[in-house]
Amino acid sequence: MTTGSALALCARQELVLAVRSRWTQLFAAVFGVLALTVATSGYILSGGHGVQDFARTAASLVQLVLLLVPVTALLIGVLALAPDRGADELLYSQPVARRTILMGKVLGLLAALVGAEAFGFGAAGVVIFSQSGNEGLGGFLLLQVCAFVLTAVFLALAALIAAGSTGRRTRALALALVTWFVAVVLFDIGILGVASLLRSGPASRLLIVGTLANPVDAVRTAALLGIQGTTAFGPASLSLLRFSHGPMGAGVLLAGSLLLWLVGPLVWAARRLSRADL
Amino acid sequence: MTAAVLLALLLAGTQEMEPVLPGGVEGRPPVGQQSPLQAKIDRAAPGSTVEVGPGTYAGDVFIDRPLKLVGLGRPTLVGSGAGSVVRVRADDVTIEGFEIDGRGGGDLGRDSSGVHVAARRATVRDCRIKGTVFGVYLRAADGSRVERCSIRGIPGREPGEKGSGIHVWNTVGFRLVGNEVTDVRDGFYIQSSSHGLIKANVARDLRYGLHYMFSDDNTFEDNLFANGAAGTAIMYSKRIIFRRNAFVHNRGFASVGLLFKACEHVVAESNLIADNARGIFLEGSYHNRFRGNIVAESDAAIVLFDSCADNRFEGNSFVANLTPLNLVGRRTDTVFEGNYWSDNDQPDLDGDGQSDRPYRLSSVFDHFRGNLTAADLLTQSFAAAALGVAERTFPVLDPVPVEDRAALVRPPELPDVPPPPERESGTSKSGLVVSLAALVGGAAVLVWGRR
Repeated sequence: MTTGSALALCARQELVLAVRSRWTQLFAAVFGVLALTVATSGYILSGGHGVQDFARTAASLVQLVLLLVPVTALLIGVLALAPDRGADELLYSQPVARRTILMGKVLGLLAALVGAEAFGFGAAGVVIFSQSGNEGLGGFLLLQVCAFVLTAVFLALAALIAAGSTGRRTRALALALVTWFVAVVLFDIGILGVASLLRSGPASRLLIVGTLANPVDAVRTAALLGIQGTTAFGPASLSLLRFSHGPMGAGVLLAGSLLLWLVGPLVWAARRLSRADL
Repeated sequence: MTAAVLLALLLAGTQEMEPVLPGGVEGRPPVGQQSPLQAKIDRAAPGSTVEVGPGTYAGDVFIDRPLKLVGLGRPTLVGSGAGSVVRVRADDVTIEGFEIDGRGGGDLGRDSSGVHVAARRATVRDCRIKGTVFGVYLRAADGSRVERCSIRGIPGREPGEKGSGIHVWNTVGFRLVGNEVTDVRDGFYIQSSSHGLIKANVARDLRYGLHYMFSDDNTFEDNLFANGAAGTAIMYSKRIIFRRNAFVHNRGFASVGLLFKACEHVVAESNLIADNARGIFLEGSYHNRFRGNIVAESDAAIVLFDSCADNRFEGNSFVANLTPLNLVGRRTDTVFEGNYWSDNDQPDLDGDGQSDRPYRLSSVFDHFRGNLTAADLLTQSFAAAALGVAERTFPVLDPVPVEDRAALVRPPELPDVPPPPERESGTSKSGLVVSLAALVGGAAVLVWGRR
């Protein structure tokens, strides 16, 4: 059996498991309903006036993605990837490299989660584009890509956590939750705190580097800048673009950061797993 | 030889110089620059109507007696390019139904305009003016009106080289109604003029939509000001009342929907101030009232300098602004009462329609932001929200307390506020195709996996 077919087989098996899991079904349902709600209510802002129609709806969708996607990817990832005593012992005893099995599993999970997200986005998109005209189609696609990348990044992190805690699923789950909390809330509070102690030049650079370094912030910045342009963050957008020497530079930096967050944890997870005593 | 040619040209130039009336007003154009209509006008009896048939008439027009100049079938007056195309120098003149083309000529210093009025009670109606430094210039023209005119300046010039769309100077009781202005410096520039009404006009793609300088007791209603450096700038003026205007899409780096500088007793009611970099900008202004306006989707809803005093905001709706208030300075006595703030999450347990605790316009996060523009990158992060909650629960830092003591929990009904200008709408086929593809693709993955 070639590595490729083994990879496909593992991915297929993981996809079947993930799709049959109540967690994935729940995620698909919740994400779909929330995306639909945001899309339907986005047009009628609280004052009854939508001026920036699509951009504001998309901004709310970004928040939804940032809140739901990392935590789901981490939890579902850790639950599925932490090797257990039964099935995984058998699976890993097959004459296939452990990293191939791991990659296959990650790919299968990714397919399941991306499928669930695409379903939700599709439902929201039907509502949005039946009213809003062509404006914002690019932003909508960008937002989907961002969500998929974010899913992949947090699945990679989940793989890393799972590989480090073989047989200790509770510990892995706890670690996953801590990781989520740090990435989504604590990191930003931390850099804001440090920035408030620095002079404005270094503080600005710290905040910009921080936003680029944290995958959640990177996705938010990329999506909002892509959708709303420089109006997304007011003058701060301009200081970011000056730092990165233009929008191209910002795109490269953001994509680079996300790529590192994707590849780094996966490689490390594979190494950890290959040394683990299953 | 060259010198001789230059000298000849120079002499010719001096001879061509038109006579300038006392006070620097352009006078009768020299014969070479006169319109073929001039003879007809010079023959007309005062108070009569001069009708002009369709066609193109090259040259400038000088009107020195009260009459009605009416274009039938939209005749075009093409200016000589040396000065104003139509010069009104007698009271009670009406200009109606012309296309006026200044050919990009004229001189900013001499107020060259499409229609230059230096007399009382003139009416300019249903004219389309393009390629002139100023569109219509009312100079000491008490009781004059400009109605249903469309004005397009000279494209491609720097703002400093352009004039205003409609320029009003030292005029009492003017009326500007139903005009459309683009591509000029300021759409409507009002200086040292009072008791004017500006109604149902549109000004877009320019510097300031409407600009008052030293002009008291004015009113403007139902106008749309879009895509400028400022929707409206009111400077050094008192007792201005304005209602039902829309100030939208003023999105440049330092752009403002509504700018106040050293104004007093201004009343703003039922206006829409939306999608601006900064919604309302107040500096050195006193006793101003803002009632029932919608301020939406700005980076900062209000920028307030501590050189202001006794300003009140009541019954306004502040929706989806990045930050409600940017206070420049250490203190303010501005009163906010009974406004709706879309980011107000305080409960209303007693059900009186107002949140139980005051809504704070300043938060710890704004403290960061005030000192550090890059902090805005994190405005929409959960950390900023968490900091806000923490600060309300444990008020450790106390920046400058600015509060709305009676914040509304539901947006007020504001039926008089104009709706935002239409955006592109309707069904997007490609958008629907993409969405349906995502929907079906996602569903396929989920279903295929189950088998």
